[in-house]
Amino acid sequence: MAALGPTPVAAAVPPAGGPALSARDLVFAYGRARPVLNGLSLQAGRARLLGILGPNGSGKTTLLRILVGLLRPAAGEVRLASVRLADYPREALARRVAYVPQETHAALGFTVLETVLMGRSPHTGALGFEASGDWLAVREALRMTDTEALAERGLDELSGGERQRVILARALAQAPELVLLDEPTAFLDIKHQHTIYGLLRRLVRERGMTVVCVSHDLNLAAAYADELVLLDGGRAARAGRPEEVLRPEVLAPVYGVPVEVRTDEATGRPYVLPRPPA
Amino acid sequence: MKVRPFTSRGYVISIIVGLVVWAVVAAVAVGVGGRLWAWGSAVQVRNVLALRLEWVMTASVVGSGLALAGLAFQALLRNPLAEPYILGVSGGAGLAFILGSLWVSIAWSPVFGFLGALATVAIVYAISQRRGRLEPYTLLLTGVIINAFYAAAIMLVTALAKPEQRGDIALWMMGNIGAFGPQWTLVVVVGALAVGVAALFAMLAKGFNLVAVGEDTAGALGVDVGRLRIVTFVAASLVTGASVALAGPIGFVGLICPHLLRMVLGPDHRRLVPAALFFGATFLVLADLAACLWEGATNRALPVGVLTAMCGGPFFIYLLRTRWRRSAQLQ
Repeated sequence: MAALGPTPVAAAVPPAGGPALSARDLVFAYGRARPVLNGLSLQAGRARLLGILGPNGSGKTTLLRILVGLLRPAAGEVRLASVRLADYPREALARRVAYVPQETHAALGFTVLETVLMGRSPHTGALGFEASGDWLAVREALRMTDTEALAERGLDELSGGERQRVILARALAQAPELVLLDEPTAFLDIKHQHTIYGLLRRLVRERGMTVVCVSHDLNLAAAYADELVLLDGGRAARAGRPEEVLRPEVLAPVYGVPVEVRTDEATGRPYVLPRPPA
Repeated sequence: MKVRPFTSRGYVISIIVGLVVWAVVAAVAVGVGGRLWAWGSAVQVRNVLALRLEWVMTASVVGSGLALAGLAFQALLRNPLAEPYILGVSGGAGLAFILGSLWVSIAWSPVFGFLGALATVAIVYAISQRRGRLEPYTLLLTGVIINAFYAAAIMLVTALAKPEQRGDIALWMMGNIGAFGPQWTLVVVVGALAVGVAALFAMLAKGFNLVAVGEDTAGALGVDVGRLRIVTFVAASLVTGASVALAGPIGFVGLICPHLLRMVLGPDHRRLVPAALFFGATFLVLADLAACLWEGATNRALPVGVLTAMCGGPFFIYLLRTRWRRSAQLQ
């Protein structure tokens, strides 16, 4: 089988200069409800892992859906590699940005292999014929996420941790420069939480990918992210390195609970302990 | 790792195989059916074969159309039990077709059929979605209610119709190939439509796969989900309406064919769409041949829609008890 298409196994990192992703003054509301985002700005540096934190209802998932182009902001703009997101044709955008949503249906009995192959969809033509490059990318994605052994299993037969790794493999098969994840470890035990985040770190380090990850878990984000953005009421309450964002006087008003922040001796990273009044 | 790449070469080969299988079955059906009818009257063999050919072609284009429509509804509604007949789309096309043919003109009634199908899809979709999400049970219940309503409306129309029209309406509503005599033009039109819709769906097949997994996933992988939905619903309504205009509302073809294909080919719509075109045709030709053999044996006509519903009912229950459970949990 001849290589017909391009062979984008490694992430295609565009020439340096400027952040990988930036959002300025985003405003968004569902229908006539109160705006979910209200003048939010943020930046994700190239080959960095950006963690997005915030209490329930602070607009994290909405923000992510805007950043991947699923929702249009009412005001403000998103730029990917300094080009406006709205100027990318859909498939062109999908070749550069991958999205891992919170939930994935296992409908119709697709296997792991078929699911990961779907990541090649924006790279194939109208009828979806596959070239050898597509299969190389798929094998590489399966290898990186350690899901080769699951290839022929149905998606509905997998455990939560396995399924999340498969969805991540699909995102990698897309060969993106930017990956956006919505709470990828929400239902996983601590071993699998660290497997997923460890993998994200490797993608940043070895592939130069930019990763933006929504998380509820302050300590996981603190342990793995290069930078954090803390959302509150549709705005960025604070952005910066973990030790700049995870401070008692910053977190307490946002989450409405007093916290104590300590430093993990082993890693030098902060960790947060809630201290609600007894 | 079992690798089965999806390539242009494999695609062309599959299409040729599908075409050959259908052609052979169709030829046999023309010959066998014609032989049965023309028993002992050699003079009429040519006329009989010409009529058989028309009926077999009618069955082919109707079968293709319904199988493609069923496949598309199942994918987009993310419901393995969706099907033009069960959703009430065939019934809507049927009611509009009858109204059009009784009170406007028989020439325009296929257009009415299409509009009836489209309106029904819009109604069923509007009722069963909540904040953009489709409730699987609500979807099926809506179809049941809509079907009951249409059945009542058709009974009303039948009661109001002239006595000599009543028999025609009843026979047509059973799902009947050839009940209205020669209509080659419509066969050609519906055939072209079925092939056109198959080509369109082949280009949307990647999107069908992705929407089945999740709408955000599909959007993030480059699919315009809103446009995909509208284009698919309109195309599926068009081909359903045309099929109904040609042969009445034949039930369960859109359910049985896609599921049999999935059992063999797996869930990938890139493979299922071209397969549905040929298998739908082959399936209904065989069903029509069975009805024809019955007629030969008993000297009584058996409408093919009765036959497919007799097989489709139990098949529906089987799906409800097995595959349905798994997919319903995942909505």
